[in-house]
Amino acid sequence: MKILVAVKQTAALEEDFEIRDDGLDVDEDFMMYDLNEWDDFSLEEAMKIKESSDTEVEVVVVSVGPDRVDESLRKCLAKGADRAVRVWDDAAEGSDAIVVGRILTEVIKKEAPDMVFAGVQSSDQAYASTGISVASYLNWPHAAVVADLQYKPGDNKAVIRRELEGGMLQEVEINCPAVLTIQLGINKPRYASLRGIKQAATKPIEEVSLADIGLSANDVGAAQSMSRVRRMYIPEKGRATMIEGTISEQAAKIIQIINEFKGA
Amino acid sequence: MTDPTQITRILFQDFDPKAIYLFYAFGYLAIAIFIHGCYVQVRKYRRGKPDESWNQIFKRFWDMVKTMASHRTLVRRDKKAGRAHGLIFFGFVLLFIGTATITLEYDILEPLFGVRFWYGNFYLLFSLVLDVAGFAVIAGLLYMMYRRKWMHLPKLDYKRVDRQIGDPDYDRSGYRREDWAFLWSFILIGVTGFILEATRLVWLSETPSVWDHRFWSPVGAILAHMMTGLGMTAEGAGAFRPYLWWFHGLLSLTFIACIPYTKIKHIFTAAASLMFKSPLVGRRLPIIPVEQANAGYKTITDLTWKNLLHLDACTKCGRCQEACPANAVGAPLSPRDVILSLREFANKTLNAKDLPAEAELDIHGKSPGQVMQETLWSCRTCLACVEICPVAVEHVPIIVQMRRNLVEAGEMEPILEKTLQTIHKTGNSFGESKRKRAAWAKDLPFEIKDARAEPVDILWFVGDYASFDPRNQKVTRSFAKLLNKAGINFGLLFEAEMNAGNDIRRVGEEGLYEHLATSNIGTLQSCDFKSIVTTDPHSFNTIRNEYPDFGGEFEINHYTTLVKQLIESGQITLKKKLDYRVTFHDPCHLGRYNKGYDAPRDVIKLLGCELVEMGRNRDNSFCCGAGGGRIWIPDPVGIEKPSANRMREAGQIEGLDVFIVSCPKDLTMFEDALKTSGFEGQFVVRELIELIDECIEYDVVDITGVAEVISTSE
Repeated sequence: MKILVAVKQTAALEEDFEIRDDGLDVDEDFMMYDLNEWDDFSLEEAMKIKESSDTEVEVVVVSVGPDRVDESLRKCLAKGADRAVRVWDDAAEGSDAIVVGRILTEVIKKEAPDMVFAGVQSSDQAYASTGISVASYLNWPHAAVVADLQYKPGDNKAVIRRELEGGMLQEVEINCPAVLTIQLGINKPRYASLRGIKQAATKPIEEVSLADIGLSANDVGAAQSMSRVRRMYIPEKGRATMIEGTISEQAAKIIQIINEFKGA
Repeated sequence: MTDPTQITRILFQDFDPKAIYLFYAFGYLAIAIFIHGCYVQVRKYRRGKPDESWNQIFKRFWDMVKTMASHRTLVRRDKKAGRAHGLIFFGFVLLFIGTATITLEYDILEPLFGVRFWYGNFYLLFSLVLDVAGFAVIAGLLYMMYRRKWMHLPKLDYKRVDRQIGDPDYDRSGYRREDWAFLWSFILIGVTGFILEATRLVWLSETPSVWDHRFWSPVGAILAHMMTGLGMTAEGAGAFRPYLWWFHGLLSLTFIACIPYTKIKHIFTAAASLMFKSPLVGRRLPIIPVEQANAGYKTITDLTWKNLLHLDACTKCGRCQEACPANAVGAPLSPRDVILSLREFANKTLNAKDLPAEAELDIHGKSPGQVMQETLWSCRTCLACVEICPVAVEHVPIIVQMRRNLVEAGEMEPILEKTLQTIHKTGNSFGESKRKRAAWAKDLPFEIKDARAEPVDILWFVGDYASFDPRNQKVTRSFAKLLNKAGINFGLLFEAEMNAGNDIRRVGEEGLYEHLATSNIGTLQSCDFKSIVTTDPHSFNTIRNEYPDFGGEFEINHYTTLVKQLIESGQITLKKKLDYRVTFHDPCHLGRYNKGYDAPRDVIKLLGCELVEMGRNRDNSFCCGAGGGRIWIPDPVGIEKPSANRMREAGQIEGLDVFIVSCPKDLTMFEDALKTSGFEGQFVVRELIELIDECIEYDVVDITGVAEVISTSE
C-alpha cells in the first residue's frame, strides 16, 4: 500500500518587496520559502492512515522544483514520510499548474500508488488545479476540497466529505485509486521539530530528471503551458474611508467628499 | 581522689552476657537493613543516565561541608526554621561523633590493643558536650513540632495544585504522617536518652565516681534530682533501667534501620545533592548528546543519576513553591510537587529488582507520579525554585528536559508552535523580515557601524524585543545615542543577527536553539570586536553561559555594567539629578541567573533617585511571567498574571514615581500590567536607559521621558 502526496514549496512575501526587472515575478530576494500550508494537512492525512493501519503503508512525497525545495521535503521526512522525490530541470521554469500536473503524473505512473493526495491549492499561486490536472492526466476519479476522509488501506472505495460554499458539506463515495485535494482543517498537522528535520537530513531525497520519467525539455516550461504570466504588478491603492456618525452627519460628509472631488 | 579511670560509664553494666549478645544481634540486623536500603537506593540511581558531575570532587566536597556547616541555605528566608534545623543537625552530628567515639574504644581499640581513653576529664567533657547536644536536638525538634502544628504555614500544606480533590495523590497525607512519625521517634530517642542517663545516676547514687561528677551531665543530673525528689530510690531506678534501656536502644536501632527507607535519608541525599550541584544550573542547560535519538525526558530512566539523587534530597520544605511565580498566581505548578511526583514514580518503578517494561516508565501524564503537560508549560524557568532550594535540587533542568520531549511530540499550545515555526523561518519571534532588524536605527542622526564590515570595540547584540517591539525601539534608540555620545566605537550585526535562542531553549526546542546559536556564533566569530553588550538579559545569559558549549566564547556585558563604567569614568556626564522615588525590578536573567544585582542599583543611585526596594528583590525577585517562552503563550484568563501580582507589590510603596526595569520583555510585560491592574496614573514603568537618557544632554534636546508623564499623571 502506497500513498503519494504531492507537495509544493511556496513563497511568502516580505512586507516590502520589489518586482523582478522582467516584471513577471517578485524578486526572489524578498521571498521566504516554506512548505505550502495545505500540504501540511495532506501529508498529515496520509500519516494518519499510515499510523492507524495494520498493514505496511508507504508515504511518498513528491515535489517539482529546484534545490531549495529539498528543505521542505526534509520537513516532510521529519514528519514521518518514508521517501521524498524531487523532479527538476531548469527547462521547467515557468511551467503552469497543468504542466506541473503532467510532470507529477509521470512520477505517479512510475510509483503506482494506491492514493494520491494534494493540497486544495498553493498559498502563493492559488490556481487550485495541480491536483485536478493530475487526476485528469491519470484518468482517475478525483474529489476536491476534501474536509473529511474515511479510508483504510486496501479499501476499493473511500467516503469523503467535500466542503461546498455556504458551510455545506457533500458526502461522496469515490472509487479508489483516486486523487484527493485536501482542505485545511481536516486534521491537526504535527510539529516537525528542528532536531527531527536535522535527523531527516540523513534520509535521501531522490532526484529525478525529466528523462527518468520519459519527458524532455520540450514537454515543460512556459512554452508548453496553457497559461503564461504577462506581467506582475502592484495595483494602485484604492481610497476607502469609513464614514461614521449620524445619518445626517454621514450625508454631510459625503457631500463634502463629492465637492472635494469636483474641485470645489 | 578517685582514680580517673574509674570516672567513666561502664557499658552494659550488670547485663547478662546473653542480653548483650541479643543487643548486638539487633544492632547487626539494623545495620544489615540499613545497608540493604542503601544498596536499593544506589541501584536506583545507577539506573539513571550518566552525568559528569564527578569532576573536582574535593572542591565539591569542601563546598558541601561549608554549606552544611554554615547552614547558609537553610536560614535563608526562614531564619527560625533554619536555626532550629541547625540545633538538630549539630546536636545530631555531636551525638553521632560521641557514639562513634565509644564504639572506637569499646569495640575496636580496647579489645584489639587494650587502649582506653574514655575516662577522667575527657569523659566528663564528653558528657557535658553530649548533654548539650542532646538538649539542642530536643529544643530544635520541639520548635519544628510547634511549627508544623500551630504555625499553619501554607508551604507545609502538601495539597496539590495540579490534582483534583479525590485524586489518589491529591492531599499527600502520607507525607504528613511520615513527618510526625519522624519528629516523634526522634524526640523520643532524645528524651528517653536523658531519662536513661538520669535513671543511671539515681541507680548509682552511692557510687562516688559517678554521683560526684553528675553535673558534668547537667540535664541528666537535674532530671535525677527531680526523680529522687519524687521518691525514686536507687533500687527502683535499677529495676526500671533495663526496660528503658531496651526501649531507647531498640528505638535508636530502628531509627538507623529506617534511614534509607524514609525521609531520614535526606541526611545523606541532601548532602550528596549539595555536593553534586551544577555551578551553572539552569543558566546552562544540558546539551543533547549527538548519539541520542530522542530529545528530552520521556521515561524515568531518561533522568540522570544526579537527577534521581536530587529527587531524593527534597525535604518538602516548600520554599520553592513559595518562590514560584506560577504557583503564586494559581497555575497548576508547584516545583516541589514535580520533584515529589517524579520521586514517587522512581521509587515505584526503579526500586524493584527488575526494571518494568518501557511503557510503564513514561513520566508524562495524569496518573500518580506522572507530571501533566499543563504543569510543565506553566513554568517560566525563572530559577526562583532552584535559587532557594536549601539542598540544591535542580527543578528547572528537569522541567525543560521534559518539555523537550513534549516539543518533539508536538504537545504544545498551537500558538507556541506557530511562533517556533516563525522563528525558524525568519530568525525572530516577530515574524519580521531579517532586513528590518535594524529599522529602529533609521531616524538616528548618526550612522551605526556594520560590525560585519569593519572592526569595532563593542558589538551590540540587540535581541528581538529591543529590535522589533515599537515601545522598546524607543529605548534602543536612546541606548544608541548614549553609546554614540560616550564616543564608543560600536556596531551591529544588522540582518545577520538572529534570536539569541535563550527562550527557545527554555521552551524545549533544542534543535531550533542549536540552529540559532550556531548561526549567531558563526556570525560573531567572523566579526572583529573586543566585547559584546546587550540590553537584553535573555540574550546576555545564553551568549554568556550557553554559547561556550557550542564553541562560542565571547566576553559579554549587560548594558548596566557598561553604563556604570561609562558614568564612573566620566565618559558620560550626567547633567542633572533625578529626584524620583523609584523601585527596581531585577530581571531573572540578569539577577538570579547572572548575579547582576548591583550594577543597575549603582546606576540608579548615580542618577540621584531614591531607591526603595520591594519585598521580593535581588535573588527573590518575582518573575514578570514572560520567561521560558511564556511570553509567546497567553496566560489563562480569570487568574492573576505574575506581572499584575508584581504591580500590586510595587503599588504598596508610598509615593512611588517609577518602577524601573532593565529588560525589554519586562518593559512590555509591566507596562501592560500597569494598565490592567489599575495603577496607571500612580506610577510609571520605565527602562533604566530612559532615566539615564533624561540626565544626558544631547545636542538635539529630546523631550520624552518620565518628567512629562509624571507631571501629567499627578
